[in-house]
Amino acid sequence: MRYALLVQGAPYSSQASHSALRFASALLARGHRLECVFFYHEGVYNAARLAAPPQDEPHLHDAWCALNAEHGTQLQVCIAAALRRGMLDEREASRHGKHGHSVEPPFELTGLGQLIDLGQSVDRLVTFAP
Amino acid sequence: MSSHALATGDLLVILRHAPHGSSWLREGLDAALVAAAFGQSVTLLFQSDGVLALARGQQAGPLGQKSTAPTLDMLAMYDIESLFFVEDALASFGLTQQDLQLSASGIPVTAIPELLAGHKQILTF
Amino acid sequence: MILHILNRPPSSSLVYREALAAMSDTDRLLLVEDGVLGALTSQVRHFQQVEGRLFALREDLHARGLEGQCDASVQVVDVDGFVTLTEEADKTVSWF
Repeated sequence: MRYALLVQGAPYSSQASHSALRFASALLARGHRLECVFFYHEGVYNAARLAAPPQDEPHLHDAWCALNAEHGTQLQVCIAAALRRGMLDEREASRHGKHGHSVEPPFELTGLGQLIDLGQSVDRLVTFAP
Repeated sequence: MSSHALATGDLLVILRHAPHGSSWLREGLDAALVAAAFGQSVTLLFQSDGVLALARGQQAGPLGQKSTAPTLDMLAMYDIESLFFVEDALASFGLTQQDLQLSASGIPVTAIPELLAGHKQILTF
Repeated sequence: MILHILNRPPSSSLVYREALAAMSDTDRLLLVEDGVLGALTSQVRHFQQVEGRLFALREDLHARGLEGQCDASVQVVDVDGFVTLTEEADKTVSWF
């Protein structure tokens, strides 16, 4: 089956990201395909490229990147929810005259329409919220 | 309020939070509007505290935080006309249909499962 | 059949009532994260109406040291079982 996940919880604030990552690896191990993880609400903070958790804690940002590298899962971040919260990629940073950026590939800022598309195109969409 | 025909459609958005206290309501409404703009048939269900989103007289916050009331007015423009609220939830706040800023249909709690079953996709906010 | 996923405990949040109100007679309910507190024998009465259709995620019980207190009426599943439940359902709805 083709799956997508909707993550709405901020990393390290709620269990949502951990639960979503566990679920992701389990569904992949069962032979399903994970098309996309869509980050909305406070979930957009999962894309923070400067996240620097202590070494003895799971590195959630890197875990998402590994998912992309190993399984081709797209990591899409709602642009409206992200910009408000200071999550900008290089393009948006320069458009808003900001020094530095907080989001970089494989995370991509995208419209909420992508989530709606996903809901129709995948077999299962599972939400992980705070 | 028993003779309503319950809606079916592509997407059911369940709104469970009151205005202003969090961004759930705003972000839920945004999802509904975008889905409608993409041509999907969208139904809104206002449940528990979410029924307060329908209340008349909402204002911007003291720092200029946008009210969600103008967004509600946009629903019709996006052809989102299927609006339901849970009757008990509205009554629990001492409100009646006359206190609402737009017309929505009250449904009993027992009708909620049917609404969920009638939609391909469900998002809760 | 819809799989409902609840991550709040009935001891401190009324969201479980919203989830239960939305469930049909065949829908299933999976307790995850703090939601697993509702699977304890002392709490499970809140979920009487879905007896036989109530599941709890083992690793969330285990991490909280609560596996031993989980009520016998609750079907405990590991994360593989979570995936299986989503396979068997037409769609999922999360309550939080």
